[in-house]
Amino acid sequence: MLSDYSATITFIALGAIFAYSFYAVLVAGQLSLGQAGFASVAAFTSASLAPDPDQLGAVPTLLVAIVIGMAVGALAAALLGLPTMRLRGVFLAIATLAFAEAVRILLLNQEWSGGAQGMSVPKIVNPGLAWLALAVVAYWFWRQGPSRYGRALRAIREDELAARAMGIDVARHRLSAFVAAGAVAGLYGVLWAFFVRLIAPEDFGFSAAIDGLVTAVVGGSTMFLGPLLGSAFLTMVPEVQRALGVEAGWIRPFLASLLLLVVILFLPGGLASFLPHRLRVPTATGDDVASDHSGLQPRRHPAKGEPVAHLVGLGKEYGGVHAVRDVDLEIRSGEVVGLIGPNGAGKTTLVNMISGLVRPSSGRATVLGVTVGDTAVHKVAAAGVSRTFQHSKLFARLSALENVLVGGHLVSRPTFLRRLLWLSSARRDEQEALEHAARCLRRVGLLQLASSRASALSYGDQRRLEIARALASDPTLLILDEPAAGMNHVEAAALSSLIRSLAEDGLTILFIEHNVRMVLETCHRIVVLDFGQVIATGTPDEIAANSLVVEAYLGSEEEDPGDDEGGSIAAGTLPDPTGGGAGISGRS
Amino acid sequence: MQQLLNGLFIGSIYALFAIGFTLVFGILDRLNLAHPAVFAASAFVGIELVESAGMSIWVAIPLVFVFGALLGLVIERVAFRPLKGRPDAHFAGLISSIALAGMVIALLQWRYGPDTRRFPIGAFPDVRLEVAGAQVTLLQVVILAVSVALMVALTYLVTRSRLGRGMRAIAENPTAARVLGVNVDRVTATTFSISSALGAVAGVLFAMNVNSAQLGMGTAIELKGLAVIIVGGMGSLPGALIGGLALGLAEVFAVQYIGSSWRDVIAFGLLFLILLLRPQGLLGARRVREV
Amino acid sequence: MADPILVVEDLKVGYGRVEAVHGVSFRAERGSLVTLVGANGAGKSSVINAVSGMLRPKGGRVTFDGRDITGVPSHRLVKQGLAQVPEGRQILATLTIEENLQLGGWHAGGTAQPVIDAMYERFPVLAERRALPAGSLSGGEQQMLAIARALVAKPTLLLMDEPSMGLAPKIVDEVFRVIEEIRVAGTTVVLVEQNARRALRAADHCYVLQTGEIVHAGPAAELLADERVVQAYLGVDPGPRRSGQPPDLARDDETTAG
Repeated sequence: MLSDYSATITFIALGAIFAYSFYAVLVAGQLSLGQAGFASVAAFTSASLAPDPDQLGAVPTLLVAIVIGMAVGALAAALLGLPTMRLRGVFLAIATLAFAEAVRILLLNQEWSGGAQGMSVPKIVNPGLAWLALAVVAYWFWRQGPSRYGRALRAIREDELAARAMGIDVARHRLSAFVAAGAVAGLYGVLWAFFVRLIAPEDFGFSAAIDGLVTAVVGGSTMFLGPLLGSAFLTMVPEVQRALGVEAGWIRPFLASLLLLVVILFLPGGLASFLPHRLRVPTATGDDVASDHSGLQPRRHPAKGEPVAHLVGLGKEYGGVHAVRDVDLEIRSGEVVGLIGPNGAGKTTLVNMISGLVRPSSGRATVLGVTVGDTAVHKVAAAGVSRTFQHSKLFARLSALENVLVGGHLVSRPTFLRRLLWLSSARRDEQEALEHAARCLRRVGLLQLASSRASALSYGDQRRLEIARALASDPTLLILDEPAAGMNHVEAAALSSLIRSLAEDGLTILFIEHNVRMVLETCHRIVVLDFGQVIATGTPDEIAANSLVVEAYLGSEEEDPGDDEGGSIAAGTLPDPTGGGAGISGRS
Repeated sequence: MQQLLNGLFIGSIYALFAIGFTLVFGILDRLNLAHPAVFAASAFVGIELVESAGMSIWVAIPLVFVFGALLGLVIERVAFRPLKGRPDAHFAGLISSIALAGMVIALLQWRYGPDTRRFPIGAFPDVRLEVAGAQVTLLQVVILAVSVALMVALTYLVTRSRLGRGMRAIAENPTAARVLGVNVDRVTATTFSISSALGAVAGVLFAMNVNSAQLGMGTAIELKGLAVIIVGGMGSLPGALIGGLALGLAEVFAVQYIGSSWRDVIAFGLLFLILLLRPQGLLGARRVREV
Repeated sequence: MADPILVVEDLKVGYGRVEAVHGVSFRAERGSLVTLVGANGAGKSSVINAVSGMLRPKGGRVTFDGRDITGVPSHRLVKQGLAQVPEGRQILATLTIEENLQLGGWHAGGTAQPVIDAMYERFPVLAERRALPAGSLSGGEQQMLAIARALVAKPTLLLMDEPSMGLAPKIVDEVFRVIEEIRVAGTTVVLVEQNARRALRAADHCYVLQTGEIVHAGPAAELLADERVVQAYLGVDPGPRRSGQPPDLARDDETTAG
């Protein structure tokens, strides 16, 4: 009787560890199904390479096996991860699944792994050891969550592009999450091998992979206890069934699948979403100017008047359509430059090129010493560029404060490894980061909403949160894409004075806006775009008096003369300079 | 020559299965992982129709087609429609279709038990033909003919009919399709239905070809189907066809020359290579989804 | 006087928690050309999409030809004679021109061919290229296609969302000529435009939108001459009325004092 429970308890722990290997990548928004393959390779390798427990003793043998297994698992993950880095979503899932299957077939055909019969392994693992291992793994992920690294992973999951713009090296983070998954899967493989006494490639096949995924999803990947909850729940189902006297073999998989369906449709956060999620709010209010900010990594800014961005002949075309054509622009430190123009004029495309999101087709742009177009987005951010987006790209499921903390990625120190050791310097650095984030929130007037979820905020508050997040990286050049969209006059005026005060603090600001009055009141200089080209630049007074600008927005005062000359588009007799390119909807 | 023909027969089944897969992915940008479960279910249903209802296999095939069509409607309604508009729709769709597949397989186990089922003796006509020095059965010829006929019909539907225009419009720009008055929900459901019907016929034909149906047959073909559509190009119907035939031929020749245990690795090798070098597949024009 | 073909009352449109349109009311008389102008972000597209069934409004009522169509999805409305030329044209580039036009008649099954032939007559350039993919057309030609496609549905009410966007002035002239022809033929047109002056020259009646509310309304000729429209457009405070109740626009054609 007791031994029955002993096995069940061990399986709960093992199942949870396997689920953690999925959790490790799901946290970063990747769906990898190759963990079974990592576990398989690790299990067989460690089983064949491990020393004899009679010689070394049971536990030391297990430890050696674990080290071997985790190393093998991590290596396998790295080997799989590197070439598949570019893949997303479905393609990544399929590639990793194929890998797991290939491993299974390979092992099936090998001599040393015992072929289909499998390999026998001494039994060393007991419930205590299994739960100890589980505790270590859970601890790891517990400490990871609130660290700078863990937040970066979650940011990547929410919005990869925004994460890049905050300076996060997405490729490196994804690979490290992958390798972690491999190591954890390797641990599972070893423990499994040294518990069930006989391992065969079939044990790590497709259904095992799906089981692991199911556990991770049912448990939930938003909170570190998820995999444990999932495993406990799913392992209990057949036990309950047995206790109720239901014997049929099809019921368990049916119920497990039904549960998975219900969870994914109605409870996407899994069982873990039932647990209260405490969001940390800083105790400091953000105005202790006296602190020496030693926990933050300082940034150097150019002196006032020095060139920040230099654009020469910059252009972007999409299949014959020129979104931006031949733009020359110079921006100097401390300036507030407004970029205006009618819908479809190319403003966002221009700004996307400056911030490194889009590669120019022609011309050259140098921003803070970096040639954009050749440089990865996160490196442009590291050079001192920060931005908001036309359509809010907040990290929806993170709190306002966490959004800003991610924004401060570049200026805060990494804390994960020190957190594992509970070093107090880690806590100090995090406190610094929190206070810095609080200051940014306070600057835009959102401190009281720090613990609210970003997706729960009103539109105006979301726009302001984006600005706070962009400020957190202590940028030199701040780019705002339609920050006043949807704001009324009072809010727009407040935004205008915020921009002015940021400029006084030394920031250089470039912003796109349609609220022309606000632009006239806020900027030192205004650039007007139409049909992708600069049609006017100058001071607010000059621009306001410029009839070309008014015409660009409202249309010309005069009727076009000579309607009949030159043919018609409908008849195909009028040449049309605007090229093809369907669906240019609302791009400004 | 014998091998060539064998490869074509099995390849045409792969192609039929893969076309259903790629139809939904191409039009609706959703990977329906319940498709292999339909494949397996229809094999069992086909056997039951012949065995218990005493039908001939020629009648069973169209009935299985209908069964698949209905199952496709259920899959769309239960696993995909509720996820419309959710930001994680792609990921959630994978999971929900996996879940539904699990439920279907479990139900199959309940109804038919865990063992392999076979067609009753005498269900297949014992007619053999000789083609260019190789032996083929009438059954195999019919399999090839049915597969080809369905694929041709599908191509016609997609390129010439009103429904096909609607499907292609949705594939390119669902918003534009809606503004023109296309009933996107109805066309989506119909697409799923057609896709599953094709997968169902593939399943019963496969069962006829090997005279057996097992619970695991869906899983076995799933990865091959994925390999075919990725190599051929996600969303490309000709790609699925060519890919399926190529895989069938490659497998048959691999078994002959390398050994049967390595047969399945061919599919994965190709799959991996294509994913790394040309993710949109040989004939695919779709942009690989970024994030 | 016959009742207006379109009456929109207190329309509220939102996205998630955000309300983009806060209670907009306007009407369109049969056979007239009504225009909604305003800066980008004012909510014009949201209004049009709520009327055409592409978006479900959060509040208010839309009445088309005497029937309440609030929240009715677009595929049903096309059948009833309400068509839209969407923002950015939304041409199906990989389909041929012929197929694009046929899609315009989707709801009519196979009976749309005579109307399609009429479109070929009116727009010969489409006839010439009918078997070519629509993506090969220039911007202006695509706009013609988008309009022709909507006309295949034989609408009694045509909604147009920024038809001038991204087009050169000469081509914009031609687009507006086509719009005038449509109106003369009896179809009511509701036109959303950023190019306010052009729209005002073409329209009978005009409503000015700003941050989701109507701030001016009146006969187009009057607004064309009124500098306050320009000011409202460029974001300057349109006057003391701003702080009080929104104007009662649904009743008469006169511009309310402000």
